[in-house]
Parts: sequence; structure tokens; C-alpha cells
Amino acid sequence: MDQSKVAEPLRSKFRGDAEMTELVQEFVQELPSRINSLGGFLRAAQFDELRRAAHQLKGAAGGYGFPTISDSAAKVENLLKSALDQSQLEAVNREVQELVDLCRRATAE
Amino acid sequence: MTNAPQNSSNQFPRVLVIDDSPDVHRLLRARLKQEEIEIASVMGGAEGLAEIKNSRPDLILLDLDMPGMDGFEVLRSIKDDAQTVHIPVVVLSGLASPEDKVNAFDLGAHDYIIKPFELTELRVRIRAALRLNFLLRMLSQRAQIDGLTGLWNRAYFDRRVQDEVARVQRHGGALSIAFFDADHFKSINDTFGHPAGDAVLQGIAQVIQRESRQSDIACRYGGEEFVLIMPETNAQDGFAFCDRLRTALESVVWPRHPERKVTVSIGVAGSSNGASLTASAWVEAADKCLYAAKKGGRNRVVLNNLDAPGVQQGQPPMLKAG
Repeated sequence: MDQSKVAEPLRSKFRGDAEMTELVQEFVQELPSRINSLGGFLRAAQFDELRRAAHQLKGAAGGYGFPTISDSAAKVENLLKSALDQSQLEAVNREVQELVDLCRRATAE
Repeated sequence: MTNAPQNSSNQFPRVLVIDDSPDVHRLLRARLKQEEIEIASVMGGAEGLAEIKNSRPDLILLDLDMPGMDGFEVLRSIKDDAQTVHIPVVVLSGLASPEDKVNAFDLGAHDYIIKPFELTELRVRIRAALRLNFLLRMLSQRAQIDGLTGLWNRAYFDRRVQDEVARVQRHGGALSIAFFDADHFKSINDTFGHPAGDAVLQGIAQVIQRESRQSDIACRYGGEEFVLIMPETNAQDGFAFCDRLRTALESVVWPRHPERKVTVSIGVAGSSNGASLTASAWVEAADKCLYAAKKGGRNRVVLNNLDAPGVQQGQPPMLKAG
């Protein structure tokens, strides 16, 4: 993992928006379990489930004000829309890792 | 009070959200909390269609990319069904390709909102869709209402009488139809002026509306002629009710011409067992009775009891002129 990025927290663009505070907190609290699912699907080579999880994360992250997570999840989803060859599989691994890293940096503070 | 045209209830408009993501439901509820709307949520296309049929929402927010039945399919079903085709659908989607937008609009979508939602845009688009829905409804109701009297108009009567006669033919049951005509109406116009004539038409409409039941359908047929559809009412009851109306109208004192009474002639056709008559035959039978009431001296009710064929004018009791 790129340690330099871990230190740099990722904040919702709705920070300070009273309507959203609680929702953003819930989303951030649920992120570890989403990360677990992503990792689990990848290790088990369950690519349909992985694509679905990435798709939902794309939508949710965008909605809660984390566009970088949303974009990263979109990359995973797009890679999984067609059959995978070896080089694409490596790309999927890379992009999922990138997505997980971004999620770990998210904070509701 | 009769089943006259009414304004829609003053409840908040109901918005149905169909999306497979719980996050979208949560976000929408948070973002639309201040809006004067009532939100219902379902998680899938098939479930959404069932809910639409069941609750007839005022607006549908529809996700396109759902597992199982996707949004395009849901949209197609909504727009294929005469009962739901008029409900505006705003598509919510992260799919932003021009083809998807064109497809959604071709299928009858009212608008398109890209996820993630931009807050103010979301609100104004929903308001705009609800406003359009409100205006369309008002327009379609206005097109069925007689402007002078506020009763249903002729076009509405023509459609509704078909429905009521068809219902009786299918399921049996009673039905009566009555034609009313103001007596010597031309002379009221000629003597007291057209505003007085208009006031008479409004007054007759008011009495009919006030005296009839919720299930009765009061319409202005044209000119000084009115028609009342009385579901679940046999010939005798229809006759008795119309005679009460006749008496009530006879006793009205008209502010513009207190010295001049206004009477009505009424023709009723009724049956207790769903006579196998077409709508036009019912109308014709009632109209003939009206003609007989006029010929018999006006200010009276003439009944044709369709259960007893051959029994025609003035049988049973026919009222004498007042």
C-alpha cells in the first residue's frame, strides 16, 4: 500500500451540509464491510458479484460526495463488463486495490 | 351531494422511487425532506409495477440499471397501460449516454436526472414534473366540466353512460337514467334577460347536485336540458327521487324574478335487473318519456319501467301539472 496516501484523508464534498452529515457518517462506517466484500469477490473470482458491488459503490460514493471513489469504482465496473484476459485481470487487481485504498482514506470528520 | 367534479384532495403529491440501491432511497429522502411530497420506496422493477397499479402515484422516479426487470422495461409497461400512461416518469440514472437518454424519452420518460444528484437540480426537476402532472389533470377534468353549471358536461355523460350501461349488462343490477328540461325556458330568457336564464340553469344544477346521492352522476346535456345517471336505482325509486326533485325545483324562489316560478319536465327510464339495452336505447327511452312529460302538460315526471315492457308513458303514477 502507498503509505503516503493513507495519511491524506478524503472528505465528502457535502461536509458541513447539515442534511447530509448523518448519512455521510453512516456511509463511511459501512465502507470497511464494502471493502471486505470487494476483496472477497476478487479472491473468489466472483466477477459478476464484484461488478455489481463496484456498480453500487460507484452510485453510493457519488451520492455521498466522494467522486474520486465513485470514479475508481466505475473503472472496476467497466473492466468487468467484458470477458477478462490475463492482462485485464491484472488491471482489475490493480484497480480494486486502488479503490480499497481510496475507501480507507475516506472520513466523515 | 352528487358525484360532481371535485378538486383533487389536498394531500401532498405521492412520489414513488424505484431503485435497487438502498443508498439512493436514503439520499433522496434526505434531500427531499423539505419538499411537500410523500415518498414511497421500492427496490425492484416488478415490485415497482405492482405498486404503481396499486397506489397510482403522482410521480415516479425510476432507476434504469436494475437487475431483473430493468428501468426501460418498467417504463415500457407503465406507458403501455392506459391506467398509468399519464403518470410522469423521471428517469434516474448514472448511465449518461445520449442513446440511453433518447431511448428513455422515446419510451415516454418526462425527464432525466443523472446520478449523483445535484441537489437544487433534483428539487426543481421534481417540482416541474409535479406541476406538469397537476396541470394535465386539471386540464383533463376541465374538459369534462360544464363551465356554466359546474356539472359534468355532455362529453363526459356520453362516455359515462356507456360505462354504466355496460356494467349493468355484465353484472346485472339496477340503473335509472333521467332527462330534465326546464319548462318555458325561452320565455325566461326573453322576459328577464339571459343573465336570469343563466341563473336558472345554475340554480337547477345546484338543486340536482344538492338533492342527489354521492353515487349519482349529474350532467348538463345541453341548452336547458340536464341528465342524471342513477346507478343501483330501480325504476320506481328513480321515479320517486325525480319527483322529489321536481317538487323542490317548483318551490324555489328566484331572486331575479320572485313572481315567476320555474318548473321542470322529467323523463325517467329505469330497470332493476340490467335490461339488455344499449346505452343509446336507454337514452332514447328516457328522452321519449321527457317528450311525453312535455306533451302531457309539463311540470311532471314520466317513467318507462324497462322491466315491464309495453308499459310506457305515465305508468305508474304520473303527476299532474302543478
